[in-house]
Amino acid sequence: MITLSNFLLIGAGLFCIGIYIILSKRNAIQILIGIELIINSAILNLVAFGKYDKVNNAGQAFALFGIVLAAAAVAVALAIILNVYRQYKTIDPSKVEKLKG
Amino acid sequence: MNIDQILFCVMGFVALTSALLVAISNNLVRSLFMFFVTLFALAGLYVFALADFVAVTQVVIYVGGVLVLMLFAFMLSNKEVLNNLQQSNSKFISVGKLPAVLVAVLFAIVLINAILKAAPDTLQWVKASAQSNNIIKPTDNTINNIGINLMTRYLLPFEIISVLLMMTLIGAAHLARKEEHKL
Amino acid sequence: MEAAIPYTTNENIALLALLAVLLPLVAGIGNALFLPKQSKLSAWVSTIAILISLALAVDVFARVWSQHTASIHLQYLWFTIGQTQIVAGVWLNNLSVLMLLLVCIIALPVHIYSMAYMKGDERYTRYFAYLSLFCFAMLGLVIVDNLILVYLFWELVGFASYLLIGFWFTRDKAVQANKKAFIMNRIGDVGLMIAIGIIYAMFHTFDLDLLFGRGNLAAQSHIQSGLWTTIGHYTINALGVPIASSSAGQLPAYCYYIMCAGIILAVAAKSAQFPLHTWLPDAMEGPTSVSALIHAATMVAAGIFLLGRVYPMFTPDVLTIIAAIGCFTAFMAATIALTQNDLKRILAYSTISQLGFMVMGMGVGAYSSSLFHLATHAFFKCLLFLSAGVIIHEMSHLKHKHHLDIDPQSILHMGGLRKLMPVTFITCSIAALALIGFPLTSGYLSKDGILIQAFEWSQDKSWAYIIIPIGALLTSLLTTFYIARLIFKVFFGQSRLRHIDANIEPEAHEGDWRLSVPMVMLAACSLFPLFSFNPLEYKHAWLVNGLGGVLDLESSYHILVPVVINGVGLLVIYLAYAVYVKQNVHWLKQKGLLFNLSFNQWYIDTFYNGVIVKLVLFIGKVLYWFDQHILDGFVNALAAIGIALSKVSAWFDRYIIDGILHLITDIVKQAGNFIRGFQTGRVQNYLFTMLFIILVVYVLKTFI
Repeated sequence: MITLSNFLLIGAGLFCIGIYIILSKRNAIQILIGIELIINSAILNLVAFGKYDKVNNAGQAFALFGIVLAAAAVAVALAIILNVYRQYKTIDPSKVEKLKG
Repeated sequence: MNIDQILFCVMGFVALTSALLVAISNNLVRSLFMFFVTLFALAGLYVFALADFVAVTQVVIYVGGVLVLMLFAFMLSNKEVLNNLQQSNSKFISVGKLPAVLVAVLFAIVLINAILKAAPDTLQWVKASAQSNNIIKPTDNTINNIGINLMTRYLLPFEIISVLLMMTLIGAAHLARKEEHKL
Repeated sequence: MEAAIPYTTNENIALLALLAVLLPLVAGIGNALFLPKQSKLSAWVSTIAILISLALAVDVFARVWSQHTASIHLQYLWFTIGQTQIVAGVWLNNLSVLMLLLVCIIALPVHIYSMAYMKGDERYTRYFAYLSLFCFAMLGLVIVDNLILVYLFWELVGFASYLLIGFWFTRDKAVQANKKAFIMNRIGDVGLMIAIGIIYAMFHTFDLDLLFGRGNLAAQSHIQSGLWTTIGHYTINALGVPIASSSAGQLPAYCYYIMCAGIILAVAAKSAQFPLHTWLPDAMEGPTSVSALIHAATMVAAGIFLLGRVYPMFTPDVLTIIAAIGCFTAFMAATIALTQNDLKRILAYSTISQLGFMVMGMGVGAYSSSLFHLATHAFFKCLLFLSAGVIIHEMSHLKHKHHLDIDPQSILHMGGLRKLMPVTFITCSIAALALIGFPLTSGYLSKDGILIQAFEWSQDKSWAYIIIPIGALLTSLLTTFYIARLIFKVFFGQSRLRHIDANIEPEAHEGDWRLSVPMVMLAACSLFPLFSFNPLEYKHAWLVNGLGGVLDLESSYHILVPVVINGVGLLVIYLAYAVYVKQNVHWLKQKGLLFNLSFNQWYIDTFYNGVIVKLVLFIGKVLYWFDQHILDGFVNALAAIGIALSKVSAWFDRYIIDGILHLITDIVKQAGNFIRGFQTGRVQNYLFTMLFIILVVYVLKTFI
């Protein structure tokens, strides 16, 4: 049997990997990937619990919304990364440390 | 061991492994393509969670949209940007990554601990819904259900999401516009 | 002595005397403070002050002098210490008014003479200020009734003498001389202070009247079996009520002898007796008019005056010692004066010799004769000095005119001035005859009085006592010789300047009337009519009778002594004439031991300089070394310790106290730097921190 906790464990694993990526990568786009991974793990969680709610089907509906939000986040993030690159000539977040507009 | 269990394990393993590869590889292109694989594996896992529409949506939007967008953004940049993006730390195990590893491992321990303690299978509402037959069966028509729910119960979030998308569109377009040289 | 006319009460007479004393002080202060340096007005101020003082002195003298021993005593309460009251005031008895009159009479001609003598001096005003100060001090000395005031005026007289001797202080010799005079006078002052202290310890009073006058306490004390005892006495306090102010006192006998020694020391210092006589010849560095007033007539007489005041105190042993000192001094000075060449030095040693006479007179009991001699000596010695001044003045004129390199005071270059300066010659001769004691002069009366009484004093005692009168006799003969030598060398013969330069025509003339008139006046006073109508008997002199009179002993000395003296004196004068004028007697050699002894003043000065002065200077050097190295070294060591302590403290302050502060600031700085390290500006770091905190919170919540 595929229990609920299996899904949750996988989701937890993905979440932690995402955390790791965010904290340790030197490339902003890789950090973006990490953020996507985290959002994906959250969506997996939603979907896993959504199996037990047929009437409202809240799990799957909100999973869709989550995907939409992820897409929006990517778009805006890429635009920000572009701007950051224009200003600092690098997208290494550890080099972007000064508050200059 | 059923075939679905085995398949589930495989999917899960692929998802986690590719995610790990995403984390490990320093090359951006490699990590993007590994992410690509992760997303597909996740879609497979959605199917196992009896969320077929979500799985397909995931493939279409996430893989076909978001990932392609990132690839385009990366590929269509200038040569200096590419060079800059390519240059990254070539060491595999470095001390600078230790805090991140630490936090990630601890988070993992904490989450796994919480999940195992919480024993989600034995939650009250989960059991109740399992007994009251509120559970999605593999033979259900989920699209129908999602469609009706979106238009009735979740109409407000739906509209807000569309407004949000519009804002995102405008905002991203504005942020990314070419700078006019102001004197 | 109440009189009917109110203004002649005793109190008023005493106040007149006080006024006579204070006028010169006012004149002196006025001269010093208000007049410019070379003002002729200053001389007139001083002279008029002394003239008025003279008038007042005559008045007081006329009222107080009598043949009996009445006196006027005016007292005020001066200060109180505990139970003791010290009174001060004026005491006018015969001795006081005599001295008052004498000082004024001598001071007036000297003031007039000084007006012309000091003409052109650049510190003219100051001279008269000092002269008036001196007159004030001397007049004050003679009328006060209190031993403390006597000491005060004694010192003031010494101080005025110091100022006047060193008047031309730009000359090194004058400065040395006035230092010497002052130091020797101070030695005497110490003796006087000790004596006054002992007197007070014994009698518990400073009052001269009580001690030596009517109260006569001093005479009533006696020495018995090693103790000096006295009776108690009463004083009259301000309300006229007699109160007991002391009970019978007793001190060991040596205190009496110490007191007498103190008095003798004071007299020896002030009146230039052996061994403190060496200051007087050196004091001739001052102006001649000063020498005339101070060192001939008045200040040096202050010692004799003191002896006169305290005379009732002495026992016969002490009086014998006094007589011996006086006789020895007189003899010594006379021998020294025989060979000196400086005109003023001869006169200075003559003064010492005559003062020795007076001291000896006091010692042999000739109290009134001694004071009589003081009075007559004042006149003729002052006159001798004034004429010496005129002569020296003329010699220095000749020196400048002919550009000679001579000492104007040396008699070796004088001669033949008899024809050129007749008035000076006549007055000087009269004074010289008075000094010799020639009949018909006042000096004859006084000196013979002393000699006769000396012989009478010695005739009841053992044979050794005859030495004193014999010594006095010899001294008189020596006096005759040296003064005759002076007169002959200066006035007779040819001018010895011709020995230096044969072309010199010696010219000299008398000074103006201000130089001559005082000399004539003093010459008149040197003759007998002033003092007695009988030129041959000293007993009838009014001065002698006023001072206590003499015992009417008809001994053969009354005839013998004057005849011998005057007869041998005439021979001596002829001898001097033969040696110095005729120059046909040559057995008085100018070489040999006696000559050297006399010429070098018995080597006393050399001895003082070589031994005592060097000793004192050496002690001074030792003390200076001690002060510099040990006292200052001690102080420097303390300072060094202080500095070392301060260095330690500085180190402590810098390294430990500041160190603690620096430590605290460093801790804060390091903490700040550390915490600032969290603000990296990197997003990933912030995220890491956030997650870490969440983990920590979860872990804590779960497991604790």
